[in-house]
Amino acid sequence: MSDKSTSRLRLLLGQLNPLGLPLRQKIGVLGLAFLIALPLLVSLPVVGQFVVLILPASSWELGLYNVAAALFFAMFAMSWDAVSGYTGEISFGHGLFFAVGGYTSAMLNMGHGFSPWISVLGGVLLAAIAGVMIGVPALRIEGPYLSLVTLVAPLILLQVFIFMSDIFGGEQGLGNPENLVGLGFVSNYFLALGLFVAIFTLLWALTRSNTGSILTAIREDEDAVSAAGLSKAKFKIFAFVLSGAIGGLAGAAYVHTPVGSPTPSELMSVIVNVEVIIAAVLGGMGTIVGAAVGGLFVAMLPDYLNLVEFTVPVIGKSISSMSFFLFAIVTLFLLNIFPGGVLRWGIALGRRATGRDGGDEGMAADGGQSPEDAGTNPVAQTMERYQEYYDNMFGGDDE
Amino acid sequence: MSTDTRADEAASATTDNEVGPDDGILAVESLRKEFGGLVAVDDLSFAVQEEEILGFIGPNGAGKSTTFNCVTGTYPPTDGTVWYKGEEVTGTPPHEMVKRGMARTFQSFAPLEDRSVLKNVALSMMDDKLVTMDGLLGEFHDEARAICERVGLGDRLYQTPAELPHAGMLRLELGRALGTDPDLLLVDEPFAGLSGPEVESVSDLLLELRDEGMTLVVVDHNMRGLLQLIDRAIVINFGSLLAEGSPDEITDNPEVQEAYLGGGLE
Repeated sequence: MSDKSTSRLRLLLGQLNPLGLPLRQKIGVLGLAFLIALPLLVSLPVVGQFVVLILPASSWELGLYNVAAALFFAMFAMSWDAVSGYTGEISFGHGLFFAVGGYTSAMLNMGHGFSPWISVLGGVLLAAIAGVMIGVPALRIEGPYLSLVTLVAPLILLQVFIFMSDIFGGEQGLGNPENLVGLGFVSNYFLALGLFVAIFTLLWALTRSNTGSILTAIREDEDAVSAAGLSKAKFKIFAFVLSGAIGGLAGAAYVHTPVGSPTPSELMSVIVNVEVIIAAVLGGMGTIVGAAVGGLFVAMLPDYLNLVEFTVPVIGKSISSMSFFLFAIVTLFLLNIFPGGVLRWGIALGRRATGRDGGDEGMAADGGQSPEDAGTNPVAQTMERYQEYYDNMFGGDDE
Repeated sequence: MSTDTRADEAASATTDNEVGPDDGILAVESLRKEFGGLVAVDDLSFAVQEEEILGFIGPNGAGKSTTFNCVTGTYPPTDGTVWYKGEEVTGTPPHEMVKRGMARTFQSFAPLEDRSVLKNVALSMMDDKLVTMDGLLGEFHDEARAICERVGLGDRLYQTPAELPHAGMLRLELGRALGTDPDLLLVDEPFAGLSGPEVESVSDLLLELRDEGMTLVVVDHNMRGLLQLIDRAIVINFGSLLAEGSPDEITDNPEVQEAYLGGGLE
């Protein structure tokens, strides 16, 4: 027994050795190292100036704030991916969880005087309960119907916020709750990065364990999951609660930083709900890594566009004034070019370039499934799933 | 009046062949399943003995699959009782039945198209636990590989189900069922579309499983290949029991011949 656990430990340590990692994970570790070193780099004499150039702002202070905000958005996207990317039950209203987390924490802090560190926990708890409230109906209502429920739920919450604006502040939100780590650029940056890494690690480990296989099996075929002796109900509710709690955690921490505040437009507007989906799908749905990368990209692209001081000749508008429009156009193009997500495309490209088939988790070299194969990527699987529901809606047979 | 006749029927059924919880590893008493006005299974009672291979035979539309969907929990029965290993399990959901040791294969193959043969089998070996370290290090795959080799897919571990020939799909169904470590295995239409040698090798595998202590119920609408395999058969038609007995008794039964219109028995 101890022999087995020793060999497990050795396996685990072997997997953590950065030199033994596959290329894509080396790139990921490098990217993370860059993010950790970023505040140090900007303070270096010469290098700093170059680093500021690539930041999504004109100064390093604002740059760190913008990256911190992007990290929070990436957490939102990862929380969406954990449930929708893996189980294929698309949530069109994930802002519900961010808002429940953020508002609960802000109200506990501002109204009842709890320390923000405590009130964040309250936000997580209530967001997890919101996860149950969406997850339990999800056992009976599926596919497009559930998507409608998730679409309407945040709209209802928003209306409650508006007609009870004496409590919730209406469209204006709740003002400024106390910050977790004050106003420091570097400290808030590291708060966001630390939370980002923690959430990423948790979701990465969970989705790479058997739990992840079971969740993607639910996306592919629920009957096959039951036939394997696995309770699909349990795993679905778990996915919703996990996603709700993590979305709530990110939302709650976000309102206690200088980069965010508890307002409907930041936490639960239709644009937020849609951007979260775009980020995860664009990065690579059902991978967590894709949601993290896509989240950073989607959050920072408008910041970069805002920096461009160029006026388009004919229409006489500056790039920065159309940043959101351009963002949507770029996204549309990317979604068309990489339907399986940029991450899957990148991995496939990398494998072709290095001539490797991806080690033990790869497919057979001949006739194997390539990651961007139509019909096997999560977007196509989800489409197929929805198609089934539509067919049934119009009286298709059960086979 | 109508209640009287129903009561009479019920009484005669129970006096004829009353099945109780201890009559076999699987015991089904007066199982009834209605879809709207259609009676798919009509007060069917039978028992399956440990370590036997039972043939469950009937023409197309006789209610075989519906019976097993009720037994495995896919549909709740309209009426009747199911006992498994002496415990009442009527209406228990499918994944619970699998955990209790009853596995099934599907007539319409239902593999996970998005993953390899090996990972399909590995899925059915997973514990029903939410948070686990298992799988992070890939240690599951040794046992799954052994099952794949057992069902004859050892050289196709990394192919996707779409790349398998028809017989391979059936083998994958068996592999996925075996992955759940069942005591009772329901095999739905295993021989449909198989060639002679393939029928033989699948039969050999099923016999081997039985010799290791597994109980098997093989559902089929034709008897080709089945009669050499099974110890005993139950024939149903229009949702109720038509005949029961050894393969020879079944083929000699005039009612069974009638049900098959004189064909399909060769």
